Amino acid sequence: MSEADYKELKKGGMMRQAEAGLFSVRLHVVGGRLATPQLRAIREAADRFGQGEIHLTSRQGVEIPHIPQGALAALKEFLAPSGVGVGVCGPTVRTVTACQGCRVCPSGVIDSPELAVAVDRELYGKPVPHKFKVGISGCVNNCMKAEENDAGIKGWIDPRWEESACDFCGICEAVCPAKAILLSAGDGKLVIDPALCIGCGDCITSCPTGNMREKSRGYRIFAGGKFGRKPSLGKQILEVLRTKEEAMAAILAVLDFFREHGKPRERFGDTLQGTGFPALETFVKGRMGLP
Amino acid sequence: MTTPTLDITGDVCPMTFVKVKMGLQGIPPQETLTVRLKGEALKNVISSLKAEGHLVANVSREEGIFLLEVTKGG
Repeated sequence: MSEADYKELKKGGMMRQAEAGLFSVRLHVVGGRLATPQLRAIREAADRFGQGEIHLTSRQGVEIPHIPQGALAALKEFLAPSGVGVGVCGPTVRTVTACQGCRVCPSGVIDSPELAVAVDRELYGKPVPHKFKVGISGCVNNCMKAEENDAGIKGWIDPRWEESACDFCGICEAVCPAKAILLSAGDGKLVIDPALCIGCGDCITSCPTGNMREKSRGYRIFAGGKFGRKPSLGKQILEVLRTKEEAMAAILAVLDFFREHGKPRERFGDTLQGTGFPALETFVKGRMGLP
Repeated sequence: MTTPTLDITGDVCPMTFVKVKMGLQGIPPQETLTVRLKGEALKNVISSLKAEGHLVANVSREEGIFLLEVTKGG
């Protein structure tokens, strides 16, 4: 088998192992969610074609190691009817990670798995200058580490204070982790500093009287993060976006910017070192028709 | 009328939550339990009390410690 053939297999999620003739097969998982029939098929495949071993990757992925080269096609065919596809590697858009989101997690603000499915459908496996990872956190607790990804998304919630019947108990001020709330009970005033607010919604969930309410929720976009040999954290771009469609449009625009400016085998964070973040922001805003 | 008081200022999650839950089990619905709490418990305890249908009212404070009057729902 030639090096070119190995490269082609790798792009299709079949990675050559240290031991000659064996492959670790990466599966297509979105937002860390698998249905039980899929899990049963994966277990059966690992027993039948591998050595009864399954590897959970660092980004919510699943690999079946120890598959002989001759069994790769049969394994793929065996998994397909259960809706388990084979993954990708190489210079492509990789696994889209997500937390459980607002349908499951009490802290959740956005439906991160739903958005992950939409991003995956649009972008998974698409060619880019270098590997490109997308991670989606349902809230600012950021379990999915948005800033570690080439493009990250975080759910965000803005509070609104309803003056009538507020008894100025001071709990919102005490729970705010960003000290963004200033209360002066004497003057009957409460001010939320939007520059300090981190969009966590703690003031809303802990207000006994329901005077602290949700003003709006949305999506924060981050770009340029990576780990590996030279880690760097992504930076926030744009103001809070209000809809899932806008978040999606922003990710698509970020990717187009990378295709336009990224050199082959250059991670997006390094591309941005050259272009600067303002260039990216201007490009994305232009694409989205934002001021 | 004096209400029973529960002090959870020395506890951390999840004991704060457990103690409040047990405290409310010990009183009939519509009766009130005063809870003394501070710090992290403020957010966690109040949000779970609200979610379980209890009423939190008449909040007062002594320095960094908050006193809540919790009226048992149901």
